[in-house]
Amino acid sequence: MKNIAFGQYYPAHSPLHAMDARMKVILSVLYIVAAFLCKNVLAFGALLASAVVLLILSRIPARIVLRSLRPLFFIMLFTAVLNLFFATGTSVLVSFWRITIYVEGVYSAVFMLVRIVVLIFGTSIFLTYTTTPIALTDAIESLLSPLRLIRFPAHEFAMMMSIALRFIPTLMEETAKIMNAQKARGVDFSSGGLVKRAKALVPILIPLILSSVRRADELAMAMECRCYRGGKGRTKMTVPHLRIGDFAALVCMVAFGAALVYLNHRGIGYTM
Amino acid sequence: MAVLSLEHVSYIYGEGTPFEIRALDDVSLSVREGTVTGIIGHTGSGKSTMVQLFNGLEKPTAGRVLLDGKDIWAEPKKMRDIRFRVGLVMQYPEYQLFEETIRADIAFGPRNMGLAEEEIARRTKEAAAFVGLEAALLDRSPFELSGGQKRRAAIAGIMAMRPEILVLDEPAAGLDPRGRDVILQGIRAYGKATGSTVIIVSHSMEDMAAYCDDIIVMSHAKVCLFGTRDEVFANASKLTDVGLDVPQITHLMMLLRARGVAVPEGIYTVEAATAALRKLLGKGHTV
Amino acid sequence: MKEPFIHTKDLCYSYSDENGLKQPVLRGITLDIAKGEYVAILGHNGSGKSTLAKLLNMILEPDSGELWVAGQDLTSPELTEDDFYALRRQVGMVFQNPDNQLVATIVEDDVAFGPENLGVPPAQIRARVDAALATVGMTAYARHEPHRLSGGQKQRVAIAGILAMEPNCIILDEATAMLDPLGRREVIETVEALNREKGITVLSITHYMNEAARADRVIVIDDGVVIMDGTPREVFADPARLLAAGLDVPQCTSLVHALRAEGVALAGDPVTVEECADLICRALEVM
Repeated sequence: MKNIAFGQYYPAHSPLHAMDARMKVILSVLYIVAAFLCKNVLAFGALLASAVVLLILSRIPARIVLRSLRPLFFIMLFTAVLNLFFATGTSVLVSFWRITIYVEGVYSAVFMLVRIVVLIFGTSIFLTYTTTPIALTDAIESLLSPLRLIRFPAHEFAMMMSIALRFIPTLMEETAKIMNAQKARGVDFSSGGLVKRAKALVPILIPLILSSVRRADELAMAMECRCYRGGKGRTKMTVPHLRIGDFAALVCMVAFGAALVYLNHRGIGYTM
Repeated sequence: MAVLSLEHVSYIYGEGTPFEIRALDDVSLSVREGTVTGIIGHTGSGKSTMVQLFNGLEKPTAGRVLLDGKDIWAEPKKMRDIRFRVGLVMQYPEYQLFEETIRADIAFGPRNMGLAEEEIARRTKEAAAFVGLEAALLDRSPFELSGGQKRRAAIAGIMAMRPEILVLDEPAAGLDPRGRDVILQGIRAYGKATGSTVIIVSHSMEDMAAYCDDIIVMSHAKVCLFGTRDEVFANASKLTDVGLDVPQITHLMMLLRARGVAVPEGIYTVEAATAALRKLLGKGHTV
Repeated sequence: MKEPFIHTKDLCYSYSDENGLKQPVLRGITLDIAKGEYVAILGHNGSGKSTLAKLLNMILEPDSGELWVAGQDLTSPELTEDDFYALRRQVGMVFQNPDNQLVATIVEDDVAFGPENLGVPPAQIRARVDAALATVGMTAYARHEPHRLSGGQKQRVAIAGILAMEPNCIILDEATAMLDPLGRREVIETVEALNREKGITVLSITHYMNEAARADRVIVIDDGVVIMDGTPREVFADPARLLAAGLDVPQCTSLVHALRAEGVALAGDPVTVEECADLICRALEVM
């Protein structure tokens, strides 16, 4: 129970790991934009190549990143099939029964696939595999902080996220404990119909909710004792610094976007 | 009444992962019928795992858990019945209370057993009496009770199932001296009245010395001492060797013996120490 | 006595129960605690000892009476919010449940939490965190996740978190109640070293008599008033009164009293095992 990985952070020494988390958030947003800029074979080819480059830069084994695609397999398949059968065009590839598959359909199915794969690859490499959850929350706090002007509670939002991260393992353990305690009193979670099983959850959920409330109460008191008063006047032990490398990465990303736009005009083959 | 034994039992957490931990390593033992048996050892010595094996919450990686000579895993479908026969009170059991009244919560186990309403009511009352919860408290919400009272209600909830073997994981943890005494006396009363075997996990050597007939000492996933309380405390130095405390009185006796005072071995209560020292000191003072 | 670090006079506090009735918890506590003292506060659950701690830390506000901490009148209406935090920084609290007081997902980030709240410059926070972790012997765990630590280690991290705020006083609110004997020892030894080496005032709320025996001074609270106040020797000299307050005495103290009750002449009131052994050996030589 104690070994559940959150955010799938993969510890390694790579230029991507070393990068400022705020920059990685910005880069991943730009990367998503870039993925949507692509319109033709050349651009999509470049996009796919960029994902490979990212993977190499991150020094994370490919199989680990590939694993993150697994839960989305059906969505990808569905999108591909949809594009394959429903995209219309001018040049018919095959036609049978009431279905006609156009060459354009094949193109757009492949393009969509590449786009989804690259989106997952890009964001997970930038945000989850090379960034710890806590660095990510800090980055989000920092990036959202201008919104304080419109009274958006950026600090409180980030504090909430990091407390949630801190307590998830504790609550998982607690759930297991309560389940065992109720099993010892004869609760049966694995047999009976839906209603019976749902009923069996009551003796778990009530103690769990009560104990979470109690924990929240005690934690709030402990935080108060440690002079917590919201974001007001607060400093941070580690102040992230944007370095030249971070800006260079930003420049590369913008240049990459520009290159994609250029490639879109050097069209060969199908254009979306 | 049933007897519980472990036969070459091993238990490994996270087998095959880098986090693999051997919590029990080839443990064999048999708990004597009708006794109060204490289990003591450091955190991580395997004692909490052991009690969860007793009622089938965990399945041994190797070896067998026997109740009345029968493997409890022979028919996994009937595990619920095993759990009614081997009642387990987990650590800080007050956090498992969930019903609106104490009465309903104590009755939860017996109700799961499918008993008749009169029988449930009778057992609820009886269990509450064992732990000294007044009848007036039974219709209150758990919220209105003190921590010690909630703990007693949770223990009564297991007693009401009238298990032949009552297992308690640190029943007195965190309580003040009075709360601790009420609970331990209630547990002993349950064993006496029903003839059930009682197994108590505890960190307190003083409690072990005061309440247990037999003591199992766990260290590094193995049983390092198992015997009657006299036998175990006669080996007090072995307890200190594995880094466990001994009762303060036993410690005192060890110090006195080291300084050449002829006190007998195996003294672990204030009463016994008083008697022994009175003999030595009292000559000429009293008759 | 120098100017006391904590001064209370006729301090009263009550809470409103569900029927809106005032339930007094503290009924006039008068105390002076000097800077650098190591004080144990004893009392059964519900005696009001935790409430006292919360008043000293300004988590609760008293109904009436005087309350001064670090030369400041906490009941003064002129106290500003900044004064308030400046005072609270000086009195750190360690609570009972080690899980519910660590905020961050990494040990060193948690230790930094206090100084961050106080607006300490980043470089200084780093230095304070490193020093605090070294003091409690947790440097090796700086990058660990709190939920993987033992109870004793978590409490030491909590103490480091307080040290990083550079306090003058640490209050342990039953901070050892949920720990095993090893964890308890870790925490007690850490706190004792802070008291000895850094002159930090320590208030340890507990119901372990053996812990109280190690303090300079023991205060017993029962039913919202101080009923005993003195050195451990003075307080444990009256076991009957402690028992009446729902408490215990160390076994050695009981032994000496039992022997005396049987007519054995023993001079002195030993508190520790060593003292008790000395006393008995001396009595044997006299004969």
